[in-house]
Amino acid sequence: MARLYDGVTAHPHNVQASARAGALELSQDDGWSDSIDAALLKRLDGGKRELRLGRTDRPGWRLVLPADAAAELQPLLGREERYGRWIDRVGLVPALIAGAAITASVLAIGYLAPHWLAPHVPMSWERNVGRAIVGDFGDLRCRDPKGQRALEALVDRVAPGSRGGPNGIKVAALDVSVFNAAALPGGYIVVFKPAITETDPEALAGVLAHEVAHVRRRHVTEALIRELGIGALIRLFAGNVGANAEQIVSLRYTRENEAQADSDAIAMLKRAHISPAPTAELFKRLSTETPQFSAEFLQSHPLTSKRARKFTAAVDPHARYEPALGRADADALFDICTKT
Amino acid sequence: MDAYRAAPAAHGERAVRFTGSWREYLPIAATNALLIVCTLGVYRFWASARQRRYLWSRTEFIDDSLEWTGTGKEMFLGFLIVIAVLAPFFLFIQLLFPALVARGKIDAAGGIMFLFYIALIYLGGFARFRALRYRLSRTWWHGIRGGSDDPGWNYGGEYLGRIALSAMSLFIVYPWAATRLWNSRWKAMSFGPLQFRANLTAEGLKLRWALVYFVPIAAMALGALVLFSILGLSDRQLGSGPMAGLGIIFVALILLFYVAIPLMTLNWYAKYYREAAAATSLGELEFGFDATTMQWLGLFLGNLALAVVTLGFGLTYWGYRNWAFMVRHLHVYGMIDVSDLTQSTTHAPREAEGFADAFDIGAI
Repeated sequence: MARLYDGVTAHPHNVQASARAGALELSQDDGWSDSIDAALLKRLDGGKRELRLGRTDRPGWRLVLPADAAAELQPLLGREERYGRWIDRVGLVPALIAGAAITASVLAIGYLAPHWLAPHVPMSWERNVGRAIVGDFGDLRCRDPKGQRALEALVDRVAPGSRGGPNGIKVAALDVSVFNAAALPGGYIVVFKPAITETDPEALAGVLAHEVAHVRRRHVTEALIRELGIGALIRLFAGNVGANAEQIVSLRYTRENEAQADSDAIAMLKRAHISPAPTAELFKRLSTETPQFSAEFLQSHPLTSKRARKFTAAVDPHARYEPALGRADADALFDICTKT
Repeated sequence: MDAYRAAPAAHGERAVRFTGSWREYLPIAATNALLIVCTLGVYRFWASARQRRYLWSRTEFIDDSLEWTGTGKEMFLGFLIVIAVLAPFFLFIQLLFPALVARGKIDAAGGIMFLFYIALIYLGGFARFRALRYRLSRTWWHGIRGGSDDPGWNYGGEYLGRIALSAMSLFIVYPWAATRLWNSRWKAMSFGPLQFRANLTAEGLKLRWALVYFVPIAAMALGALVLFSILGLSDRQLGSGPMAGLGIIFVALILLFYVAIPLMTLNWYAKYYREAAAATSLGELEFGFDATTMQWLGLFLGNLALAVVTLGFGLTYWGYRNWAFMVRHLHVYGMIDVSDLTQSTTHAPREAEGFADAFDIGAI
């Protein structure tokens, strides 16, 4: 005896069910009978006690049989869907192995692709993105002309010729009270006020050289691709108005990129006859000072004390180092955000 | 013969019963977890379809089990549609917002962000409605399903309006908003030819909501009193000895504040769900729900403990435990005439619960 729901009302009908010649035969004591092609039947999850069948052509049609009826009807029924159609077809273990392989390669590509793609992104595209994002920095920018000239002179010291041409580096000081400096898309380098007023020009030269290296090596592009690819959706929900001036410098570089930028910076300082010692001092200070002072800088530039050692080791005791800026320029730079 | 008595049934049995067991569910939980990990999470749609198929089939109502007919594929497609709709919107804001901030236009950036959150709240309400409608349309009993013909756009607006109003009152009037939203949501739903009815009011809920505000404050005040009396004592008798203890008390005070708020919120929700179930009916069926605050707390702490003890694997049992909890505390009373319970004529939505999934919210 089986229970039949016709899908029209919830009223159950008692029927007899049997298998005959590729079809399911249903009959009732009052003489009603029906024959359903096995191809229309699908097996549904009925637990251990029941066998539950549905029809692909009639939603709501259900035949509920005692579990022991399954043996007789088995030839009519396909296999029950378990994990999903594709996985049922290949089997669980092969599906797991294939899945793991695909996952591993997707992760690998996701990690490596930005590195491969970055050098092939036309500089003009990146310039447009940069211009769209930063504009002219509005009221945040420190606009003292003498200070600006001094800042540019410092960039020219560590990276001669880097500011020329349409793809040249554009440097700006921002009146934001967080210790930070960053390279942005399109060759923009920004230095926040404390990075100017709480260091000496030599240490700032080291920081600038590091950011110039990020720009030249297309690390910014790489980070941008990584960001747009993965981080766009996630980061959006964490948005917080007001404290978000730093959002524009939140691009993250990989450890390898940071190490490379440091090596480049040391080489640039050497060529410019600027001692790497003040930069090392700065890193040392940042790694020991109060968190709220250095948190930002540490976050995007990990392992500060290790970096300090790297810059210290680069100090050549026999070299004749020169000041990064002349007295007048250094003073103008110091005042870049105080004069309007 | 056609009229089914829901409860108390003849054998003193409950009308709604959960018959699953954790052992029987283990193979599903284990393979789901494996497949989710091995597919970067894409399998989670199929995993949740399998989980629901199991849970529904182990939930008996009177003389037959429920049946879940939703598929992983439709949930995956629903998710893709939502991503396709939302991604350009997110990307635009993602670029526009920093551009405005960089130009010093903080006000404009704030305005954009404000509009953005308004849209999110609207979509959140819409998503909740659609999730409930989708779940009812995929839930079958005796070959009959539920559903709704309301697309839920208006509900999204009502949700936004009521949430905005209660936000303006610092959420003091939230019980009024929550109860009216429950009514609007359920009144739009049906099972077979029967329309759900809901007339939940905030009447019995005001005190518990007030406690959400007062208990943390009272706890702080009491703690401060204890603190000051100890301070007073230490001046006169104990010297500098208990200063270390003072720090501990201070930390305990902060903890108390952060524990009191969720506890009181739970206390409110326990009553809310009891009243909500009692205020909802379908045809001649009445509902009841009897979980107390302590039982809810037991469920959540049990979930946490399970996840910790099993190093995370227990997470795969949360859905199981939550469902079993709901079913075990749910009561249905009254009569249902199965000959009158004809097939639902509502439009079966195709897009699954993509929005609710994207915003990570439940249906009820």
